[in-house]
Amino acid sequence: MYDKKVVRRRRAALAVFLALSIVILTAYFGESGGGFFHALQRGAQETFAPIETGASRALKPVQDFFDWAGDSIDAKDQNEQLREEVERLRSELAEAQTRERDSRQVRGLVGLHRQAGFPDGTEPVTARVIARSPNVWYSSLKIDKGSGDGIRLNQPVIAAANNPSDRGPVGGLAGKVTRVTGGTAEVTLLTDASSGVAAQIMPAGAAGVAKPEVGNPRDLLLDFVEGGRRVTEGTMVVTSGFKASRVESLFPRGIPIGEVTKVDLDEVELYQRVHIRPFADFRRIDIVQVLTRKPRAAETADVLTP
Amino acid sequence: MTLSVGSVLRVGVPLLLAVVLQLSVLSQITIVGAQVDLVVLVVAAVAYYGGSVAGCATGFAAGFLLDLATGATMGASSLVLTAVGYGVGRLREIRHPSHGLLPIPVGAAATAGWVVAFAAVSFMLDVGARVSPLVLRDMIVTVLLNALLALPVFVGCRRLLRRSLVVDPFEIRRRRQPPREAGPLGLRGIEV
Repeated sequence: MYDKKVVRRRRAALAVFLALSIVILTAYFGESGGGFFHALQRGAQETFAPIETGASRALKPVQDFFDWAGDSIDAKDQNEQLREEVERLRSELAEAQTRERDSRQVRGLVGLHRQAGFPDGTEPVTARVIARSPNVWYSSLKIDKGSGDGIRLNQPVIAAANNPSDRGPVGGLAGKVTRVTGGTAEVTLLTDASSGVAAQIMPAGAAGVAKPEVGNPRDLLLDFVEGGRRVTEGTMVVTSGFKASRVESLFPRGIPIGEVTKVDLDEVELYQRVHIRPFADFRRIDIVQVLTRKPRAAETADVLTP
Repeated sequence: MTLSVGSVLRVGVPLLLAVVLQLSVLSQITIVGAQVDLVVLVVAAVAYYGGSVAGCATGFAAGFLLDLATGATMGASSLVLTAVGYGVGRLREIRHPSHGLLPIPVGAAATAGWVVAFAAVSFMLDVGARVSPLVLRDMIVTVLLNALLALPVFVGCRRLLRRSLVVDPFEIRRRRQPPREAGPLGLRGIEV
């Protein structure tokens, strides 16, 4: 049915492209952060950044429309009374709600700084999210501020809560800066499969390592909490911030991460596993703050990201 | 599909647009916890109309662009999208499908292949964390959303690629239809 030459060409094409992919994959894993493919990625991201920023701004109304739709579903009861007005003012309302959401996030971030226990000596840089990783395995964001704005590698990033409760903080730790270009930076979120942060339950003081549960951004797991420690639901979890003799730490002590929702007790295990609901709303982050100035060394914490 | 500067541009430009649109807009719109994945639909559409060679080349290029732009592990997306492009292209070459609604199951199947295979590759590479069952829900929703979006994407890609196509499935379908004026014997003008 097919010419042998066509079949050979087809198979050769598949083999070449698969082999190329595997070679790139192997080389990428084998090289250091300054290697060819990493440099190529940085260059491409710098090239893509203005295009992405432009596209993000130009198509903001589309995104606003979907955001508006989501917010409308959440506020269905209120919208019942305002249905007629919503119909008439749909486009105006979409814009207003988006602005309101943005300002709520900014207010939340400001409120977070004023909270007792939040680390001093940090200089927050507010940035807007311009791109987002499309799958759950690599949870990262690209923001519109970069090294020109004072952002450096490994600086902590905080985000506001979507619906801040009266008793809990209005936001919390979102991730850290993992790549910086002149005008943009990439933030790896706490929900990324490779993330982990040393954390402490307050006020009990039980410490552990907060890691994500891939695919469920509303649940973090605090592992390696000593079995004997009593952990109660509803208590707050913050970055623990400790300094070991040879470990260069990244996150300052005292940044809220989330609150305890459940404790898995297993009598066989030495450690208990604590479920945390993060304060930051990872699904709907529009605005973040990068804590640019590093605090005193004594107030720093360990990060287990490879 | 014929290889020329024109055909490379006809595939490359929409692919680049799809990647930019995906990263800057579509990834930020969450519907029932998941997002539409435009890139895999464009790869599937090119493979569906252009065949397996064009499909795997487009898949490789799309994956490469995606990994470059997102900062993810280089080569992982290329590997999976190459296989997806080849698979869809072979489907077209072996079965010669021509039904107008076929892009919907093809788009859904390509998306399912992409999300499942990418999850498998990610598992094999560097995922050390526990995986929530909600990942499955996100995958299913993405497949359904892409099934809804498949038809317009395929139609758009077909219009763009038409000049470079050696065989157009819709033209085959048109040729298969009997003449309008034919009677029961299949002969025009004889109505007995």
